[in-house]
Amino acid sequence: MTGEDLDWNEIDVPVELPEVIDEITYQRVVENAGATWDYFPGHFDPAYAQSQGNPTIYVNTMHLAGFADRVATDWAGPGSRVVRRSLRLASSVYAGDTMIGRGRAVAKRCDTSVEPPRYLVDIQIEVSNQHGQLCCPVELTLQLPG
Amino acid sequence: MEQDLSYQLAFGTYEDALRMVGAASEPRTAAAAVSGARIQLFAAMVHDGNRSYWDAEYARRRWGGLLAPPALLMGWLIPPPWQPDGTPRPAGLVLRIPLPGTTFINAANDVEFLEPIVEGDLLTVVEELVSVSPEKTTRLGVGHFVQTLETFRRQDGTVVARNRNTLFRFTPATAS
Repeated sequence: MTGEDLDWNEIDVPVELPEVIDEITYQRVVENAGATWDYFPGHFDPAYAQSQGNPTIYVNTMHLAGFADRVATDWAGPGSRVVRRSLRLASSVYAGDTMIGRGRAVAKRCDTSVEPPRYLVDIQIEVSNQHGQLCCPVELTLQLPG
Repeated sequence: MEQDLSYQLAFGTYEDALRMVGAASEPRTAAAAVSGARIQLFAAMVHDGNRSYWDAEYARRRWGGLLAPPALLMGWLIPPPWQPDGTPRPAGLVLRIPLPGTTFINAANDVEFLEPIVEGDLLTVVEELVSVSPEKTTRLGVGHFVQTLETFRRQDGTVVARNRNTLFRFTPATAS
């Protein structure tokens, strides 16, 4: 599509994606509630988060998903699109934490069951915190420009 | 503290919850169409410089308009935090499942994005209750895993996404 996009034909799997690191300040967690309209109190009220057994407020699923999508599309380019994403919330990312996203493209396939065929790459992403704890394992499929 | 109505949970037993498995909500339409402002607010929050979210001319050629970040899917159907007519924000089906747990946290999410969602699209969702687990104990407390399936359609009726979500509805282990 553009020179910014990876060429599906030239991707060799498996391949590691560039690591993405993001510091999650209190402001970022609060921006998250504003941007997603998800005002569940665990995302903005530390006292409520503590009543749930958490040390403080934490990012929501949409933020983790957006971070995983960014790891994938920063690598493949803006002409790619997430067509499937499966994630598990193993441990929360709290205000004050650092998120580290490490991705690995594990397979590529051409889906010929549709017209035109879809050029797909399967990616595994691990979102961890600064303690090396796995917070969110993600399986994601990108469609690349054909 | 003022607690938001939309997060007032329905309470009941596991058996009450099981009776709702298979129930589907009425279709619910977003309060507003997908907009460039919200696309960019979300992309700014994530620090995502993807041109599909920021460069209107590029996005128009590539997708037919600024692309909605796939991760913001659930956000389009969350009502605004206040409405002038004072009507309570409708609670999602998942909060209306009668269970004993006093709070919840999300556990897993699996989404298929069948078609690009772009600026101007108006989304409608139908939610179904797929399953409720027997009682489980986790490090957070005792509760039930609740799985729902949301089907999102745009204004022409095309299904654009299917979102399977699992949350843990629990009562926190006794606070120290």
